[in-house]
Amino acid sequence: MEPQRTQPTMQSDLAFSCQNLSVEVTTKEGVKRLLDPIDFSVRKGEILSIIGTSGAGKTTLLRALGGLIPTTENSEVLADGVPIQGPPDRVLMVFQDYASSLLPWRTIRKNVALGLETQYRGKELQKRVESALDLVGLRKRADEYPWRLSGGMQQRVQIARALAMEPSVLLMDEPFGALDAITKNSLQDELLRVQEQTGATIIFITHDVEEAVYLGDRVLALGGIPGRIIEVLDVDLPRPRHQIYTKELPEFLRLRHRAYESVVEAELRLRSEE
Amino acid sequence: MTETLAIHIARSPAKKKSWISRLNWTGAATLTLLLLLWEVLDRAGAIQFNFIPAPSDMIGGAVELLREGSLQSAIGHTAGVALIGWLIACVIGVVLGTILGISRTIWRWTAASVEVLRSFPSITFVPLAVLLFGFSSAMELVVVVYAATWQVLVNTLEGVHTVSPGLRDVARTFRLSPLRNITTVILPAAASKIIVGLRLGLNLALILAVAAEVVGNPAGLGYGLMVEQQALQPERMFVYFISVGLLGIFLNAILQLIISRALPGITAAAERGQKS
Repeated sequence: MEPQRTQPTMQSDLAFSCQNLSVEVTTKEGVKRLLDPIDFSVRKGEILSIIGTSGAGKTTLLRALGGLIPTTENSEVLADGVPIQGPPDRVLMVFQDYASSLLPWRTIRKNVALGLETQYRGKELQKRVESALDLVGLRKRADEYPWRLSGGMQQRVQIARALAMEPSVLLMDEPFGALDAITKNSLQDELLRVQEQTGATIIFITHDVEEAVYLGDRVLALGGIPGRIIEVLDVDLPRPRHQIYTKELPEFLRLRHRAYESVVEAELRLRSEE
Repeated sequence: MTETLAIHIARSPAKKKSWISRLNWTGAATLTLLLLLWEVLDRAGAIQFNFIPAPSDMIGGAVELLREGSLQSAIGHTAGVALIGWLIACVIGVVLGTILGISRTIWRWTAASVEVLRSFPSITFVPLAVLLFGFSSAMELVVVVYAATWQVLVNTLEGVHTVSPGLRDVARTFRLSPLRNITTVILPAAASKIIVGLRLGLNLALILAVAAEVVGNPAGLGYGLMVEQQALQPERMFVYFISVGLLGIFLNAILQLIISRALPGITAAAERGQKS
């Protein structure tokens, strides 16, 4: 789990490698840049937290990695060594708005089956759906409609639906942003446990600095409009992490301080430029 | 952890209601009272119109028509044409509506034509159809299909256009093929709108079938209505009149039953949408 920074990383060890990644949209007023060219890479099996001021392009970056929006022509973005053209195989997005991401006319079981139905049928399909539901502890509720569940459980359904695809990468866009603090903490721990079991790479956007440090192997801070990378922090905290003990460690407090500061500084710089 | 944090929402017991408790007794009582009032007023001579028969006279007319067999065949004809026409309209409307809803390019070229054509009241096409197809059942069918197709098409189109961007993103991240995207995400998401279109289409199919029979095709309830009116037989005319209404209610009820049986998830999601 602990990232090996002393050894040079091989291309094949990278889930993503991005050079000059930038995103522009064409509006009626002309071309608008959402993300300045940035360089970074993500190791396989790593949890990368992304924080940043609003408007810095966190979601834009994630959607570009998920192949949902195009990057500019001179961007070089590789997912597992292959240039991204549309959503890459086994790279799954988990959206913040679980209510509009689950299909309300399908039961939880059938929601989780959404991506599997073309490849598997009958017993094999049910087995895979149920083991995904087991990962998030929702097997008992499998035949209910998602809107009958609490927000935290609906978000678990969405995570299970992605996990059923045996993803190599999960791209999570503020997935716990709309949940209360206690539900949020328990989902953080479930996510860490699932990541340990599956070894999936996770890129996790959050506006919560503490969450970013708690989950991540690294924290990447974006700032400015259009956004660019303003800080990358290595998180050398022992795993498994613990909601109480990890958060009391001096190193945790130092990292939280540093991450918070970089975001606040970026915010202040932005205001003084205006 | 999962279970202790779970907020268990009490599930309302899904008891099957018997048809007796499903009947709207209070509504039926009011209707019966109104009919009784009509009967009493007519007998007392309070109704001045010559050609408004008492409900009891209509029952006599109905018995006559049933004995001749003309009521059964008229209902059969009108219901048949309305249903066949409506089914054709459903296929055309859903397919075209989906294509126009998905493809921005096609929509850009066709939006103006759709807006212009749909705003013509379908009934204005009846004389034109008579000119083209003569006094025939073919004419009636064409008119029914044309009118019902617009209802289905426009509502399908709107349903597809209003599928949330969130669901579109889900379809993409799960790499659903275009066809699977349509069948598993877009059509179910648009279903509540499409169902509105199907119901409006069915109502209109019946209206236009009767209108075409009144104006042109010598068959069905509309034709019966005309013949009895011209023969100054109000008891018999009112039987056709009421049959049209009852047929409409019956067809609508059947459609609703089929939808709730065939699409339980969509019905459940729609009911929840109405409550919130």
